[in-house]
Amino acid sequence: MKQKTDVLQGTLALMVLKTLDVLGPLHGYGIARRIEQISGDLLAVNQGTLYPVLLKLEQEGAIASEWGASENNRRARFYRLTREGRKQLQVETQGWEQTAAIIRRFFDVRTEDFS
Amino acid sequence: MKSVRRFLNRVANLAARQEHDERLRQEIEEHIALQTAENLRAGLSPIEARRQTMLKFGGVEAMKQDHRAERRLLFIENLLGDLRNAGRSIRRMPGLAAVIIISLAIGIGVNTTIFSWIQLILFQPMPAVSGASKFLLVEPHSETGGYPGASWLEYRGLQTQVPALRDMVASEMVPFNVGEKGRTERTFGQFVSSNYFSALGLKPAIGRFIQQEEAERPGTDPVLVISYDYWQTRFGGAPGTVGQKLRVNDRALTVIGVAPKRFQGTMVPLKFDLWVPATMTPTLLGGARDLEDRAIRGFSLIGMLSPGATREEAQSELTTAMAQFARDYPETNAGMSGDILSFWEAPRGPQRLLISGLAILQGVMLLLLLAVCGNTANLMLARGSTRQREMAVRVALGAGRWRIASLVLTENMLLAFLGAGLGAAFAVWGTTALRVAPLIGAFPVQFQTGVDKFTLAFAMLLGAVCGSIFSAAPAVHLARLNPQDGLRASSNTPPRSRARKVLMGAEVGLATVVLIAAALFLESFRSASQTDPRFRPEGVLLASYDLSGRNPDDTSEREFAERLLERLRSLPDVEAAAIATNVPLDLHGIPSRPFTVQGRVRTEAGQDRATTNTVTPAYFKVMAIPILEGNDFADMRDKAAPAQAIVNEEFVRRYLDGADAIGRRIQTRGGSFAIVGVARDSVYNAFGEPAQPAVYFSYRDRPASEGEIHLRTRSGRETALASEVRAVLRELDPMLPLYDVRTFSQHIDRNLYLRRIPARMFVVLGPLLLGLAAIGIYAVVSYAVSRRTREIGVRLTFGATSGQVVLQIIRENLGAIIRGTAISWVVAFVISVHAITKGVVNLPVFIGVPAILLSVATLACWIPAWRASRIDPMAALRHE
Repeated sequence: MKQKTDVLQGTLALMVLKTLDVLGPLHGYGIARRIEQISGDLLAVNQGTLYPVLLKLEQEGAIASEWGASENNRRARFYRLTREGRKQLQVETQGWEQTAAIIRRFFDVRTEDFS
Repeated sequence: MKSVRRFLNRVANLAARQEHDERLRQEIEEHIALQTAENLRAGLSPIEARRQTMLKFGGVEAMKQDHRAERRLLFIENLLGDLRNAGRSIRRMPGLAAVIIISLAIGIGVNTTIFSWIQLILFQPMPAVSGASKFLLVEPHSETGGYPGASWLEYRGLQTQVPALRDMVASEMVPFNVGEKGRTERTFGQFVSSNYFSALGLKPAIGRFIQQEEAERPGTDPVLVISYDYWQTRFGGAPGTVGQKLRVNDRALTVIGVAPKRFQGTMVPLKFDLWVPATMTPTLLGGARDLEDRAIRGFSLIGMLSPGATREEAQSELTTAMAQFARDYPETNAGMSGDILSFWEAPRGPQRLLISGLAILQGVMLLLLLAVCGNTANLMLARGSTRQREMAVRVALGAGRWRIASLVLTENMLLAFLGAGLGAAFAVWGTTALRVAPLIGAFPVQFQTGVDKFTLAFAMLLGAVCGSIFSAAPAVHLARLNPQDGLRASSNTPPRSRARKVLMGAEVGLATVVLIAAALFLESFRSASQTDPRFRPEGVLLASYDLSGRNPDDTSEREFAERLLERLRSLPDVEAAAIATNVPLDLHGIPSRPFTVQGRVRTEAGQDRATTNTVTPAYFKVMAIPILEGNDFADMRDKAAPAQAIVNEEFVRRYLDGADAIGRRIQTRGGSFAIVGVARDSVYNAFGEPAQPAVYFSYRDRPASEGEIHLRTRSGRETALASEVRAVLRELDPMLPLYDVRTFSQHIDRNLYLRRIPARMFVVLGPLLLGLAAIGIYAVVSYAVSRRTREIGVRLTFGATSGQVVLQIIRENLGAIIRGTAISWVVAFVISVHAITKGVVNLPVFIGVPAILLSVATLACWIPAWRASRIDPMAALRHE
């Protein structure tokens, strides 16, 4: 359970950054919808966990936020990527791809390769 | 980087907490509205749409917690919470908190005040001089262990022969008569070497300082520098003061400059107002031979180490130089060596007196503070136990041990710092009170102490140390608490706390030590002031005059004294009048001079020395010192009689082997004197001193420019006579001030002044400490008794008398107290016998102090015990 949250927190942050990078400024619900669409059930139950992650990213300076009007003309908080966030996304994407590649190679190795 | 920014954001968030909660609420609202709308579009019923939304969103409260945790600094918020909590709980116990805070404040305030004086001497021995603590004292040291000061020629020699010290400075304290005829005023100043101000690194407030070439040839430079205060008070701070003439000892001196603010000379705590080149000594002091005579040791020397030189080098150079002087000038320097000393090691003068007293005082007061801490710990422990249930609830609700401990710690630290704050305020008051302290004798004294950042830091440090000392026990106690027990246990099963009893014993033990120290000190002070001086000070009026400003010769001095005495004797209430050059029990001591006795062969090396005083006939009558053999001196007008001397019994014992003294001759550098009488021994320099050999010379043979008038008056009239004496002197010479008019008792009080400050402190603090110990015991016993109400009820029901109950409670608690007292009594006894009184035991103190302490302790136990025993058994059983 705890491990899952850790993974979730880390990946969720990366997903938020990527979402904002691709779609431009979005409010919390929009980000949640987008992640849900792409990742399936990752946020199906706990959409609320997004907000602490957003706050953390904002306090680190990766994203910024301001008030704006939503589709139904209500006041909503819009998040956008900062320059620093873009840099962070690049670095983390690279790191993530590297990790993924290594893990993939591990999984691709079959027993007979060692013999 | 990221974590730093996050941290800073969190700090900022502390202030904007409400705002953030509101923002999150709005965001959640919006999120839910959008999701619900989406669900409605998907065809769900409004209720189902909302339900699905909430399910998807997850736990709102948990998320809010995460959100808060993310933006906050938990430990600071906890601390603020703890502080609020501590504030509340202190407000709930105003009486107890007041006792704790005030007792801590007194302990810390007293210690801080003493520390500020010690700090003054250690770090700022010369106000306004930066780096003053780097200066070292150069003190000639006689073979008998005395530090007589340096002669001018010695200073000039050492200047070149001790290169390890650069800019060696000489100064000599001197009283001047300043002003025009008829309204002269005695003002203290220093004769200084020419490099005095430049070596101290001072910049004049206005004008300039004495220059090198101005202090070369005797008497050629009638200039002086005045102090800032003197400039302000006498010249109104006028810029035109420089260049004005000031009449000093009836000579016109030109003011060339004003010393910087706060500078008060090089002999703290004495405060000087005038600085005159030392080369003016013969001119201003009527041909004084200070500049030529190696026997006149009036100068104090200080110097700073040259770059790269060590103190050891300076010491060895000084030793070599002094040994050379001893060979070259055996008459004045035989047996003399020299010491390089730090300021706080000053071997003589007012500093010496101050330092030794302060060190003892600080030690005792720190013990007192420790006792206060013990007391507080006990009170907090007793109180902590009543809060066991509260703490148990907190633990049960999920507070960690550390949170519980930190809660208690915060509360105690808050108390400690409140105490330290109030203590610092006390210290501000204490140091200011001391700054305007009365004169030490006739000398101007100024302590430029104050509460600066060092003393403030010291007070806070004491507060923190005290806080940690008295928090430790209760915090550990509460944190060890098992919540189950805490909740279950009702107050009828008292947890017997050994800690409380040990603390109570320790506290009383400390109180014993401090009270014994205080009592010993007071006792020594009292015995000092009550010892028989072996003359009769009551009814004697003293006053001083000084002819030195007018270059008198022997004849004029003798005639002046004669005329003065004649008029004084004619005053109605005067029984006898005399003039002497020295007054016994003077702060500065009476000079001792070398001589040889005719017909006596000295076996050991060195010289015969005796305390000397020069007096007019009738001196012994005024002082009520009986002349045991022979006669008083010849009349002042008698020109025929040979030079005379009167010696005391100890002189006869030591130097004449008890043989008949009358008619023997004494040879000094001043001439040859025939012994005409033997006077009884009396006290000369200090109460309790061993018998000293003394020689009295006749004023007729050796007149002096400075005189101390001694008047034996009809009893009770001595103070009333002062103005008549003044009038007599004014008639004789309107130019001459009469100064330092005091009764002999006042003169003696002065001598005891420096010992009286700590004595008074002890008088106040002793009872205070006793009161604190009583409060501590009372609190502990009444707490313990209150926890046992039901048990006491049971006993009373089964037939115990209230007397038995009281006795048992007292016995239980007094045990710990007696053990504590006994242990520290032994410690105090051993230390006192071995280190302080050297075998003499002050029985009244060693019996009286524990007796008083134990009676107070018994009383403090008895009151709560008695109250408990009066309880109605039925009510006690129903209790809780």
